[in-house]
Amino acid sequence: MGECVDVNFLSLIYEIIRSIEKDSHDVAQKLAELSRLFELCRHQIAKLPGIELSKAEQQQQIDVLRKQVVLKNELLQKYKTLCHFEAMHGNEQHH
Amino acid sequence: MAAPSTKAVLLSLVDDVEIITKELFESIASSKQQKATGLGGTEDYHQLTELLVQKDQELKDALNLAGEQAVIQKKIDSLKAESFKRDQDIRKLQQQLKEAEHVLSTAIYQAKQKLISIQKATKNQVPSEELIKYAHRISASNAVAAPLTWQPGDPRRPYPQDIEMRLGFLGRQSDLPINGQMLQAQSQASQGSSLSWQPPPEIAPMVSQVAINQSAMSVDSKGHNKENEGDEVEVMSTDSSSSSSSESG
Repeated sequence: MGECVDVNFLSLIYEIIRSIEKDSHDVAQKLAELSRLFELCRHQIAKLPGIELSKAEQQQQIDVLRKQVVLKNELLQKYKTLCHFEAMHGNEQHH
Repeated sequence: MAAPSTKAVLLSLVDDVEIITKELFESIASSKQQKATGLGGTEDYHQLTELLVQKDQELKDALNLAGEQAVIQKKIDSLKAESFKRDQDIRKLQQQLKEAEHVLSTAIYQAKQKLISIQKATKNQVPSEELIKYAHRISASNAVAAPLTWQPGDPRRPYPQDIEMRLGFLGRQSDLPINGQMLQAQSQASQGSSLSWQPPPEIAPMVSQVAINQSAMSVDSKGHNKENEGDEVEVMSTDSSSSSSSESG
C-alpha cells in the first residue's frame, strides 16, 4: 500500500537545483510541479488504510479482537452443547 | 504518552521535506548571489542536502511501516467481521433460549396447576359408591326426569315447582320475595291448581320445614355472589334428595 504514494521528490528537487544553477526558464513551472507533488502525496497518505493508529496500538487491537473471537467461540460452543434446540423446534412444530 | 499515529508521522515528514526544500532553494539562490559577490556559503547547502536525504529516507521507512500496518488492518477487518458474525450467532441463540424458557415456564405453570388439582382431588376424595348412591337418590324421586307414564294430575313431580324455583339460585338473583308467608301463599295457591305438585301427606311437614330453612338462609345471604353458587346448588340438591329419599322410603 505504501508503494501507492509517490514520494519521488529528490529527482525533481535535483532538476530544480540544476535549473536554478543554469538560470533556466522552467524553474517556476518545476516549482509548481513540486508543490503539486507534495499536495498529491498528502492526499495519498490520507487515503492509506490502517495508519490512524501506531503499529503498537494496532497490535494491541488485534490481540483484543482475537481474544474476543475466542471467547465468543467458546460461548457459542457452550450454548450448543447445553441445549438441543432441534428438539424444541420439533415440539413447536408439533404444537 | 501514546506514540503518534503513522499518519501523523508521514504528514509531518512531508512537511519537513517541503520546508527543507524551500530552505535549500533559498540557500542555493543566496549562494549564487554570494558567488557573484565573491562570498562563500556552501556549508548550509551541504547540511540541508544531507538533512533532505535523511528525511527522504525516513519518509520511505514510514511508508514501509504503513504498508505493514495495512496488512495488519486487513487482519483486523477480518477479525471484526468474524466477531460480528459470532455476535449475530450469539443473539440468535439467546433468542432461541428465551423461546425455550417461555415454553418451559408455560409447561411448568400448567404442571403446577395439574398438581394442585391432583392434591385437591386426593384431599377431598369421593367414593364411587357414594356417588352412585347419590345418583340413585336424586333419580328415584323423578326430580331429574319425568316418569315415562306421567300425566297431568300425577302427584309425582316431573319438573321443579314455583316454590322450588324461587328457592333456587335464579330466584335469588331476580330478588323474588321468599319468606314464610310467601311460601304459605304459594303453597295455598298451588293447592288450588290441579296441575301443580302437591307433596304427599307423609313428606309435607318436611318440605315446609326445609322451605323455612331455605328462606332463613336466603335472608342471611342476600346479595349472594357467585362463589356461593355451588353451596346453593348443593342445598337444592339436598332438598330434593331429602324429599325424594323420604318419598322413596
